[in-house]
Amino acid sequence: MNSKINFIQPEYLHSGHYACPGCGAALAVRYLARALGPDLVVVITASCWSIIAGMPPLSALKCPILHCPFPSAGAVGSGLRRGLDLRGKHSTTVLVLAGDGGTFDIGLQALSGAAQRNENFIFVCYDNEAYMNTGIQTSSATPFGAHTTTAPYPLFKKGAKKDIMHIMAAHGIPYAATATVAFPGDLEQKFRRARQIEGFRFIHILSPCPPGWGADSADTVELSRLAVETGFFPLMEIFEGGAPVLTYRPEKRVPLEQYLKLQRRFRPLELQQIETLQQGVDEEWERLLKAAGPV
Amino acid sequence: MNGEQILEMEKIYLNVVPSTANKTGEWRLLTPTRKEKISPCRQGCPLGGEIPAWLNAIKRNNWAEAWEIMQRKNPFPAITGQVCFHPCTAECNRRNLDEAINIPAMERALGLWRLQNCRPAAPPRRVEGKIAVVGSGPAGLSCAYYLNRAGYRVTVIERAPVAGGLLALGIPSYRLPREILQQELQLLQEEGVQFVLNCSVGRDMEISRLYDDYDQVFLATGAALSRMPSLPGVKLNGVWSALDFLQQVNLGRTLEIQNPVAVVGGGNAAIDAARSAMRIKGIDRVTVLYRRTKEEMPADPEEVAAAAAEGVQFVFNVTPRELKGEQGRLVEAILNRSHTSGEKLIIDRDTELRIYCKTLIFAVGQERDWSVFGTLHREIRLCAGGDLISGPAAVPQAIQAGRIAAEALAAQLEGKPGPDPSPPESGAVTFEELHLAAWPGLAARGRQEDPSAEAERCLGCGTCNSCGICYLFCPDVAVTPDQGRYLFDLNFCKGCGICARECPARALMMEGGW
Ligand SMILES: Cc1cc2nc3c(=O)[nH]c(=O)nc-3n(C[C@H](O)[C@H](O)[C@H](O)COP(=O)(O)OP(=O)(O)OC[C@H]3O[C@@H](n4cnc5c(N)ncnc54)[C@H](O)[C@@H]3O)c2cc1C
Ligand code: SF4
Ligand code: SF4
Ligand code: SF4
Repeated sequence: MNSKINFIQPEYLHSGHYACPGCGAALAVRYLARALGPDLVVVITASCWSIIAGMPPLSALKCPILHCPFPSAGAVGSGLRRGLDLRGKHSTTVLVLAGDGGTFDIGLQALSGAAQRNENFIFVCYDNEAYMNTGIQTSSATPFGAHTTTAPYPLFKKGAKKDIMHIMAAHGIPYAATATVAFPGDLEQKFRRARQIEGFRFIHILSPCPPGWGADSADTVELSRLAVETGFFPLMEIFEGGAPVLTYRPEKRVPLEQYLKLQRRFRPLELQQIETLQQGVDEEWERLLKAAGPV
Repeated sequence: MNGEQILEMEKIYLNVVPSTANKTGEWRLLTPTRKEKISPCRQGCPLGGEIPAWLNAIKRNNWAEAWEIMQRKNPFPAITGQVCFHPCTAECNRRNLDEAINIPAMERALGLWRLQNCRPAAPPRRVEGKIAVVGSGPAGLSCAYYLNRAGYRVTVIERAPVAGGLLALGIPSYRLPREILQQELQLLQEEGVQFVLNCSVGRDMEISRLYDDYDQVFLATGAALSRMPSLPGVKLNGVWSALDFLQQVNLGRTLEIQNPVAVVGGGNAAIDAARSAMRIKGIDRVTVLYRRTKEEMPADPEEVAAAAAEGVQFVFNVTPRELKGEQGRLVEAILNRSHTSGEKLIIDRDTELRIYCKTLIFAVGQERDWSVFGTLHREIRLCAGGDLISGPAAVPQAIQAGRIAAEALAAQLEGKPGPDPSPPESGAVTFEELHLAAWPGLAARGRQEDPSAEAERCLGCGTCNSCGICYLFCPDVAVTPDQGRYLFDLNFCKGCGICARECPARALMMEGGW
């Protein structure tokens, strides 16, 4: 089902933010801020969250925010951490918030550099699987089969989603994890754990986007849940680039079609392509189970 | 960065305005609304008790609120918690997870809380209108409770020397401790209900007088007249009807009952008579004789098991044919074998069994009590309810009848239309319809001793159970926890609908407009 969670905790996300109704990214940041607490500085790279956070003087977060250019999140996070350390603010957590564009594509080199240097901050990718803020353009996080404004219906994205967890694990960073909004207990626990760890920490959050995915805004949590229950987005942790540890194991994986059919972006898919996708998920799941070893 | 610049940055940060200045509620097209759907327990409850709602209040440890909800449908939970056969739990959705909610125990706990904590409160205001209630069984008491609360002056007229109807004279005290009944009656009295005992309407007083002296009359004289079979020997000494027998026991009279005792019947009254007989000094051989099989017994299985545990014997598939006596006193009963075929009872007249018994109690049926009419020969407008109208039913049905009668009589006095006799809602929320996948930490967990912990097990099934899922999953932090309740802040709710989709109890709906 879902790991235990203390529902009522101090909230650091204000109401009145600029996210669309049913935004998964807003929920993701609500939970991670609950887990990290008030001693936090957030670096936001160009993404939906540049808007959601609000134009100064308005702010949706009860902590300082530093907005930065698209490719620079990894570098700005590194600099901010060192600056705070110079001022003796070692306990303050630096969190970099980037979308999939700012992580998988445009931000990848600065991210890789920071990870390789083992800079001491948390890098969060809230992944809504396309450039949503600029109008739903394909990114390398867009899954096979989804249509976007750069792959308009009846076209669809042909390549597979980039495996960012593999890439980050290959850097041998102390901590990498996946999380998603239907499992807030699991998500919050991962952030609390990340906070205790020194060095570079990477957390990949699948964040359903109702307008970008062509989904009902009410289905955000359901989609996030189905992504996990189908095995499309496994919940895991990787320490020091080692074997993945699954933090949640569906009792019986739900057919992928249930996940796809709630999203109009997958509408161009023929039955056969859905089967291919299902096969891909099955193989990846088997591989993951093998790599994770016996539980 | 030099010092001045840093200062400058901190100043900017300090001047930040929270985004709550931005009323995103204006974006909303649909609004989350609590829309209660009926739960299986509520559908099963004969008086339509709002079970998940008062359980929720107990979960939040708000007993005063729980009582307020309870008394809307059931003013005597301390009594029903003891004697109701709780059809509510039979359908409880929680069974599919572990075990049905212990509704009777919770009802009892709330009833006792009320008896201990609620000082008698006179009705908020008195209104014009005097009402006579004939019969002080649960139907009459419930009617009196509601009319008194509405401000009317209520007088309950009772034939017996004690009030309570079958609660006092039928149901044995080991099942309903009499202190509870006494406390309920006392509260009613202290809140202003008048009781006139030892007055049999139709005999001691003409019913037509009531219509002269009172503005409205409610008749709830029950169906507690015993039906005796026409067998040779029923007039012998030692032959009883269950109702007379229980009445004598309940009035504390010493009875001339001799061992061995046979009880004829298979309903709850038969079991009550058998168990009550067992409790009489010197009686230790009690046998229940039932004409059909054990499986066909209408009595509550728990009661049957309790009787057996106390040493009551059972003989099935027998029907008495004749009672034999010596010097006017019963000594044995002659029985035939009998069994069910289809709907019918087949009695095998060729078989003959004899059972030695000095006492025989017939619990084979009850007749409605129309004695109130006496020698009436005037046209009256009749308002009646409880067993008198339904035939022998049960306590919650009688309470329900009393409440509906109170509403109808008050409406008549106020010149308003009466209560809507719409049939009870159908289509209770099923276990499959609940969205339990959304509920973190929900796990199988059997019944709990602590009432608040037990109430927490309730899934709500169409009524908010205060699980907080709507709060947890709102991307706009637009659901506010308030002492265990969850309120929607429409200043900020964008109407995404996640809360309604995720609500495990299915208690929310998105409605058009703001
Ligand atoms: C032995 C027995 C055990 C039972 N056990 C249970 C149980 O465990 N649970 C359950 O839910 N139900 C039980 N029942 C059924 C339940 O008691 C009745 O359905 C319920 O009491 C009916 O309520 P009532 O108010 O309609 O009538 P009653 O309770 O019968 O009350 C009628 C009252 O009217 C009075 N009255 C009658 N005529 C006159 C008159 N002319 N003038 C003045 N007063 C008059 C009577 O004295 C009596 O007090 C039991 C019944 C019996 C017989
Ligand atoms: S879980 Fe609660 S609301 Fe649902 S049937 Fe049981 S008692 Fe009633
Ligand atoms: S989600 Fe829980 S707290 Fe919210 S309305 Fe539904 S039952 Fe009540
Ligand atoms: S989840 Fe929040 S924003 Fe969405 S409809 Fe419910 S209260 Fe409104």
